[in-house]
Amino acid sequence: MVTKKITINPITRLEGHGKIEIFLNDAGEVANAYLQIPELRGFEKFCEGRPVEELPRIVPRICGV
Amino acid sequence: MPKPKIALYWAAACGGCDVAVLDTNEKILDIANLTDIVFWPIALDFKYHHVEEMADGAIDLCLFNGAVRNSEQEEIAKLLRAKSKVMVAFGACACFGGIPALANFTTRNEIFERVYIESPSSANKNRTFPQTLTRVEEGELEIPEMFDTVMTLAQVVDVEYFIPGCPPPVDIILKVVDLFARGQLPPVGSIIASEKTCCDECERIKEEKKIDRIWRPHQIIPDPKKCLLEQGIICCGPATRGGCGLRCVKANMPCRGCFGPPPEVIDQGAKLISAIASIYQGDGDDGIDRMLAEIVDPAGTFYRFGMAASLLKRKRILQDKRRE
Repeated sequence: MVTKKITINPITRLEGHGKIEIFLNDAGEVANAYLQIPELRGFEKFCEGRPVEELPRIVPRICGV
Repeated sequence: MPKPKIALYWAAACGGCDVAVLDTNEKILDIANLTDIVFWPIALDFKYHHVEEMADGAIDLCLFNGAVRNSEQEEIAKLLRAKSKVMVAFGACACFGGIPALANFTTRNEIFERVYIESPSSANKNRTFPQTLTRVEEGELEIPEMFDTVMTLAQVVDVEYFIPGCPPPVDIILKVVDLFARGQLPPVGSIIASEKTCCDECERIKEEKKIDRIWRPHQIIPDPKKCLLEQGIICCGPATRGGCGLRCVKANMPCRGCFGPPPEVIDQGAKLISAIASIYQGDGDDGIDRMLAEIVDPAGTFYRFGMAASLLKRKRILQDKRRE
């Protein structure tokens, strides 16, 4: 039986967006925990059609850290 | 006197803007001495609820980087707007959409299909896509709704200042911090960069602006002293605001427009089309076809960083086309 949910949002001090939800049972123990990635930009799709020699100038913007 | 409070946030971004703030090196210590940083996910452990608990207007300056491409980013933009006296669109993505706004050439469904079905690393026979609400055994999980169209910050909330660049250069960041500390920020609505174009500031030798063919950067070795556009390499400098320090052209690479349109120009891509059309020499109808074919990806080049802020904002997809 889950009685409590702890949400950590956002996850900090790393590159990217993340959220953690932890469900606790009656005894206060972790019943389950979920890591969620709330963001998608879609580089896989929008790089299609771009000239190949331009990609070294586009994909560094996947992560600039 | 209490120190002014600063917040930094990233929406649809790569983190490069946050790193640009850290690239101020030892001056980051001055920023930390002069101000209280009250929210900065990349560097400090504050949560959204900390911001929610602040009084309206409690933050003196918010540097918001990243485009707005999902419901969480829109909510946080509105939250930070309410809590901040001064809202700054920081970097090309917040100002113009940036690289994430290349997604405006496609749709959310096409992105989902490519990422979760077609990608070689996907094993997804049941066609599972992200849902805003998922019921699990222990309860409910929520993630934000991804929008079809990527937006600029100013399309979602009121913005006082714009600092362009991918990322904004350190000298501009320090200038803004200095102006802020002295209470001398420019008039609201200002774009904090140069009033000239990138082309005006470029020191390359410009002779006669006439070209008879376009070269892709890998097809020739450009002369490092001469104008790239005059050598037939598409350079977005004539349609781009200066102030960037010419980082690309100094590396013998053409400008791709990350400082957005120059003063008096609304649509950066249209300005660039006009600039190129005025110097490109054709020879009859065949010449025009050849010339058009030589520009490989005009939309993705002319609107590389500016699609969300352009007049069209996104590729228009006809209803019947979408059903195919």
